[in-house]
Amino acid sequence: MKKTLMKGNHAAGEAAVRAGCMLFAGYPITPSTEIMEHLSARMPEEGRTFIQAENEIASIHMVGGAYCTGKRAMTATSAGGFSLMQEFTAYASDAELPFVIINVVRSGRGIGSLDPGQDGYRQSVYGGGNGDYRQIVYTPNTIQEMVDDIYESFETAEKYRMGVIILTESSMGQMMEPVVMPDYKFLETTPDWAVTGTHKWDRGAGGWPMKRKAWEEKMARVKAEMQRWDAVGLEDAEYVFVSYGLPSRSTGEAVKLLRAQGVKVGFIRPKIVSPFPVDAFKAVNRDVKGFLCIETTEFGQMVQDLALAVKGEFANNVPVHFNAYGIGVPSVKEVLAFYELIREGGSKEVF
Amino acid sequence: MKEAIFAGFGGQGVLTAGLVLAYTAMEQDRNTSWLPSYGASMRGGKANSTVKFGEDTEEVIGVPMMAEADVLVAMNRPSLDYMSFCKPGALVLVNQDALDEPYDFPEGLEIVLVPAAQLAYSVKNAKGASIVMIGALIKKTGFFTAEQAKQSMCNMFAEKGKSKLDALNLAAFDAGYNAV
Repeated sequence: MKKTLMKGNHAAGEAAVRAGCMLFAGYPITPSTEIMEHLSARMPEEGRTFIQAENEIASIHMVGGAYCTGKRAMTATSAGGFSLMQEFTAYASDAELPFVIINVVRSGRGIGSLDPGQDGYRQSVYGGGNGDYRQIVYTPNTIQEMVDDIYESFETAEKYRMGVIILTESSMGQMMEPVVMPDYKFLETTPDWAVTGTHKWDRGAGGWPMKRKAWEEKMARVKAEMQRWDAVGLEDAEYVFVSYGLPSRSTGEAVKLLRAQGVKVGFIRPKIVSPFPVDAFKAVNRDVKGFLCIETTEFGQMVQDLALAVKGEFANNVPVHFNAYGIGVPSVKEVLAFYELIREGGSKEVF
Repeated sequence: MKEAIFAGFGGQGVLTAGLVLAYTAMEQDRNTSWLPSYGASMRGGKANSTVKFGEDTEEVIGVPMMAEADVLVAMNRPSLDYMSFCKPGALVLVNQDALDEPYDFPEGLEIVLVPAAQLAYSVKNAKGASIVMIGALIKKTGFFTAEQAKQSMCNMFAEKGKSKLDALNLAAFDAGYNAV
């Protein structure tokens, strides 16, 4: 297959086309807009539906409407646009309706900034709407992995009848890397949960007790079946770094440098953060001295899931160290400096 | 992993020059990343691109952000600020035509002045100063052969539907290549 150099956002749009997405409805917001730009040309070319809606709330509901009829549909957004979509994600979770959202995170509260960041984690993982629900969240760290994740995401959403978020960062959307695009595929049949207009639909989850039971069973399956991570050097690690997305690329470089010097550090990179890859921690050296969370948030978001995973695996309250990198992507030097601080007995914030 | 920074004003071709290098790396089966950065005003604003690529076909690219560059291509004076992101001994290719007065370069870097605008003008490709710099970069670094880079450059422009500019771009590339 031929490799092409593609901008992350364009590659994301094309991956959705290849995955059989039949409807894209969206509203532009930097730094996700090139996904729409790409699809505004490609969807009509393929005889599919592209809609620039009046706002984010309308666009995500159009996605839901299409998925009600069993058609693959998606939107892409960022920051405040993602916030506006939470009314729907809560509704869709209750209705067990699949959907796919690409969340190209830009940092900051409210209007925020255009810098990359990871503070869309909590909203993506826990759902920002009312009620208690979860979404499956892919966290690719290369454009190729993002393409592969998007290609798979529709099937995942349909399999569990659950929302799927592709969580990327502004720089992932703007940068270019070589990618191989997968072949075209389609959802060939109408799912049995789809509304077909024949008045035979009786797939409702029923009352609250049945809904609750269905969600419990579903979440147990998701947790068991969607564990996905990459790991390096866990067996003998004295300290283990945990990082996803672009910061995981700095962390990967730092770990490689340290291990080349004979320093016993390990690395877990969640490829899916929800469900959190708790199974990864089973392989960690039982005498590990601590975990280092490398994420770009101001107060820590993934660190809380990490701390729970560590608590679940180790009896002796192993420290989970957090350093608020704020916005951007920490450099390799900054990751190494944090490690030095911890190794010398210092700390920033411990969970 | 190799790293190159292309910096200048928007409109000077610094994003395109980076793309030529990334394209060349990709077509030699290397992993590569290209990361742009530009201000709100594209033309005339501050712009740069950072390109990284593996030294063999296996090496993966770490963080795509500017970190420790092997080469800086500086198309204007403010771009020389990025020397702070250069490794010791890094190559700095400077567009001499943008330096209206002498610049006090720091020790420990290999500074090469290239009259990029004049060379581009001399081959009747006034807009090709960044391509001149790519020619100079390939010659000085030996990252890839001139043939590989020229082929990839033409392939890249072909994808953009701009093959009609091939002769002009090849002339600009050669002008830079032969000038250093």
